[in-house]
Amino acid sequence: MAMTRREAFKTLAKGTLPVLAAGCVSTALPTAARAADDNELESNSKYRKVDEAHALGLLYDATKCVGCKSCMVKCSEYNELKPDTRVDGIHQAPPSLNYFTKNLIKLYRSDDGSDHSYFKQQCMHCIDPGCMNACMFGGLRKDEETGVVWWYGPKCVGCRYCQIACPFHIPAFQWDGFNPKIVKCELCRTPMQKDPSKKEPGCTKVCPTNAVIYGTRKDLLAEAKRRVAAAPGKYYQDKVYGEHDAGGTQVLYLSRVGYDKIGLPDVGEASIPSTLKYSHMAYKWMVLPLLLYGTMVALASKNFAHHSHHLVEEQKETGLRPQL
Amino acid sequence: MTRWERSVPVYGVPVLTRGFWALCALIAVGLVLTGYREVAGLTAGISGMTDPFAWGLWKTFNVMVLTGLGSGGFAVGIAAWVFNNKKLHSVMRVALLTSCLAYWTGLCMLGIDVGRPWNFYWVVLPWQWNLHSPLLEIAVCMSLYASVPLFLENLPPIFEYIIYEFPKWRSIAETCESVMAKVYPFIIGLAYILPMMHQSSLGALMVLGGKRVHTLWQTPCLPLIYVWAAAYLGYNCVTLCILLAKLAWKRDVDPVVMAELNKLTVWLVYSWTAFRFLDIIVRGKFLHAFTDGYFSILFWVETALTLGSAYVLSTEKGKKLSTMFNAHLLCAVGGMIYRFSPTTLAFSAKENAFYFPAAAELIVCLTFIAIAVLGYLVAVKKLAILPGSNEDWMKMAKYEESIKPGIQLTGYAPADH
Amino acid sequence: MAKDAFEKETIAQSLKNAGYSRRDFIQLCTTLVATAPMGLALTENATPAEVAKNVGKAKKPSVVWLHFQDCTGCSESLLRTSKPDVADLIINLISLDYHETLMVACGDQAEAALKSAVEENAGKFVLVVEGSIPRKDKGVYMMLGGKPAIDVLKETASKAAAIIAMGSCASWGGVPSADPNPTDATGVDQIITDKPIVNIPGCPPNPYTLLGVVLEYAVMGKLPACDSLKRPKFSFDRVIHDHCPRRAHFDAGRFADGYGTPSHRQGYCLFKLGCKGPVTHAGCSTRHFNEIPDCWPIGLGAPCFGCTEKGVGFTIPLFDRVDAHGFTATPPDTYAPISSTFGKVGAGAALLVGLASGALAGASWAASQKLASSEETIADEAKTSGGK
Repeated sequence: MAMTRREAFKTLAKGTLPVLAAGCVSTALPTAARAADDNELESNSKYRKVDEAHALGLLYDATKCVGCKSCMVKCSEYNELKPDTRVDGIHQAPPSLNYFTKNLIKLYRSDDGSDHSYFKQQCMHCIDPGCMNACMFGGLRKDEETGVVWWYGPKCVGCRYCQIACPFHIPAFQWDGFNPKIVKCELCRTPMQKDPSKKEPGCTKVCPTNAVIYGTRKDLLAEAKRRVAAAPGKYYQDKVYGEHDAGGTQVLYLSRVGYDKIGLPDVGEASIPSTLKYSHMAYKWMVLPLLLYGTMVALASKNFAHHSHHLVEEQKETGLRPQL
Repeated sequence: MTRWERSVPVYGVPVLTRGFWALCALIAVGLVLTGYREVAGLTAGISGMTDPFAWGLWKTFNVMVLTGLGSGGFAVGIAAWVFNNKKLHSVMRVALLTSCLAYWTGLCMLGIDVGRPWNFYWVVLPWQWNLHSPLLEIAVCMSLYASVPLFLENLPPIFEYIIYEFPKWRSIAETCESVMAKVYPFIIGLAYILPMMHQSSLGALMVLGGKRVHTLWQTPCLPLIYVWAAAYLGYNCVTLCILLAKLAWKRDVDPVVMAELNKLTVWLVYSWTAFRFLDIIVRGKFLHAFTDGYFSILFWVETALTLGSAYVLSTEKGKKLSTMFNAHLLCAVGGMIYRFSPTTLAFSAKENAFYFPAAAELIVCLTFIAIAVLGYLVAVKKLAILPGSNEDWMKMAKYEESIKPGIQLTGYAPADH
Repeated sequence: MAKDAFEKETIAQSLKNAGYSRRDFIQLCTTLVATAPMGLALTENATPAEVAKNVGKAKKPSVVWLHFQDCTGCSESLLRTSKPDVADLIINLISLDYHETLMVACGDQAEAALKSAVEENAGKFVLVVEGSIPRKDKGVYMMLGGKPAIDVLKETASKAAAIIAMGSCASWGGVPSADPNPTDATGVDQIITDKPIVNIPGCPPNPYTLLGVVLEYAVMGKLPACDSLKRPKFSFDRVIHDHCPRRAHFDAGRFADGYGTPSHRQGYCLFKLGCKGPVTHAGCSTRHFNEIPDCWPIGLGAPCFGCTEKGVGFTIPLFDRVDAHGFTATPPDTYAPISSTFGKVGAGAALLVGLASGALAGASWAASQKLASSEETIADEAKTSGGK
């Protein structure tokens, strides 16, 4: 049966619209419900946004990773990091991210040993990073165009507040030496600047299974969602970790095993800096502090005048120098 | 019965006692270790800090806890000058001195703790500040407070010392004194607003710690509860200093002022506890006070120490000096544990991570406490800090004049206005 | 006269006269570079051709070789290269002025040869000692030319420039010193203390290690860097386990459970059969013997015996297992765990915390007791003032 173009559109619309509507409702309802549920602390407000079409990130699919660790080797090579052989003096076996290691493959094993998954740990490059909010003078900064979070030594005091503020335990402090550094993944920003022939980070370049890929957040999120849609139920809660977590991150994760089990904590959907909004409100335009200061000075002046008068009276009586 | 009318130095006691030299020995060891830390970094031998527990004793105890104890200058000051509590003027100098020492040793400790202190100079360039950072607020306000208002507030005893001991410099010191008297309200206004800001920001620091700080402590109100705790800790510290002065140098206590200190401490602790419970209940986390094992116990230990002490202080028994001493001490311990909890005791960085300081770290921590104690011991013997009566002053003057002929400590007629 | 002319020869001239091609020499130098890729000034960052050039320029070092309580296995291992001309070449690199088992002379003639070799090169020759020296009863258990061996050693050593103890026996006693050690046999460095000594333990040691040490001394004029047991680091800096070809089986937990069993035939790790590889410092796992691949104990299916490690070979029973984890590194796990462990409680720190809090508590208690003894209160006075 031949179909005119008009008919075709009609059919398409008939088929698509309910799906779209259902989709909208199914997205909107939980969102609305969640928004209602959330107390204000955990609202989804963001202090900072990125241009998603330019913000760069990674997508790591734990189901594709074979644990070969070639990304770790390449990462050390690109970033000119010394191998961390401190475990025994021989083997390069960092137990966690540290100032030798910007990228680490970890292994999750269930207690009974029946289940396992790899996990690649490096900076999440949050859209609104906690570390950057914590940093006093801007030792941690976010590239305006790419959104890459990087460490700028001349502004770093070495206070390690970034380590407290990062819910993912990413920034590593150099505990040895008189001139310590904060070491974290910078998406191979420096190697790529030094050598323009390098077009992508070391880890994505060498990954033999494309378990980790590099691109703009927009593309990566679309790809992640495509994978989830293509195999419903394959990924944990059909969720892309990092889409909303901690206000959204530029590094996205897909995993079959629960995200909390492989080391991605449930941090809520509010960005880390937004938890401080009440404190910031107290300082808005410095109105409150200045008002308080004025009041206190006014009261103190009045009381001080009385007190001074009292002191002079006392001196008349005793002949002792008054004390302030 | 004694009435405190003015501050009187501790007299007739040597400065260089055996305790003085013992403290000096500890400080020498600690400073050598500090030097080693500057060269070798915060290595495993020096500190127990690790990446998940990036803040150790130096920041969490020397700065975040002990400046709470040193908040007397601001807590007693507000009551005296802003709320016009005249009884408290007599203990102001003790409060200011303890504050000054706690803050300066705390700031030194901060400088030793940070890894790249040479970059701290950005703090004087406001356009380089990240205004969102609670730590910046602390860095700016705390160093500003310690170096300007708190420093100026501690100058009058030194001016007096110069006036009495160095006649050559007398006129300059007197000029300084009168200038100070003119701007004093503006200074003390600053001396109250700055600590209010940074003592609360010390709490705000850990708000960024998120869920790693146990839910009984983690709250958007953490800054407010933190500064509140600092207030009664300041009172605890002042009271303890006065009671120890009674023990060590037989200084008489003024019952009226002591009763006032007790009363304010009691109400501060009561209101603090009430606010804390209210916050936990409103957030719907009160059940955690019973279900979370170690954390629940810690919570009740804090509450019992502070609330129990406050209760004892409010009773008839609390008027006995020994009971008062015990109660203020335990209350201070409770408050200090509270201030220590969000960063360390109730901070679960990672599943398998814990923090215990290294021996060297502890010695350096104790060293800077020792420096403060040493400074206090010297200051109260040289300067008019501890409260006393006019009669005490006369006795002191008689003693001083007998050993230092020519010194004039009495008989000053008021200047014409 | 002829002898003088021979001595002034450089190594290159000597090799040329003996009819060796440059190719043979460079091949030997290549082996030397492979033996000591680092740790020797001679081979550090040098190509075999450069090594050959430097070695060729040097004068042939005079070597006096003494035998004591030994089996001559060390000399044998030097001579039993896979091709006879290689051994000949090695012998041609040095001026071997005295070697009891390699010389024709015997009796008085031999005694005279030793005397003249020592006298003529006094203060310049390298003394190689093979075998342990008995000390019991003034050394009467071994007599050489009517004198106790220990005296011969002392006499000769007093004129030597440097001493190389070849083999485990000369290094610290070896087989003759095994329990109950009836002759109180010991190594050279227990007797001679005023001369530079290099130990090259092994039963037998790898001849290329000797070659490296001797040539380093001849060309650079110094002995190589050594570890605390005086073993040259270039050959003894790592344990056999580090580069063992069976290491993968160890890491994976695959062990041979007996000789001739299927697991043994499959080449699994010999650790459970008593292999001392994890505690034995030696280069055997990368430098096999007789220039034949896999020609070394573990390569042939026998556990390492630990001959180069004092207190292991000839001491720990052959089939006893050693504590692998205490001595050497095995990766804790191939992968980092999701949550690794941080923090530790030091004994000193715990003690300090205890002391500090104890002192504080004690002082507070004492203070409160003292205050209590005054029985002073503020109650009445406060009331009085309130009433005022």
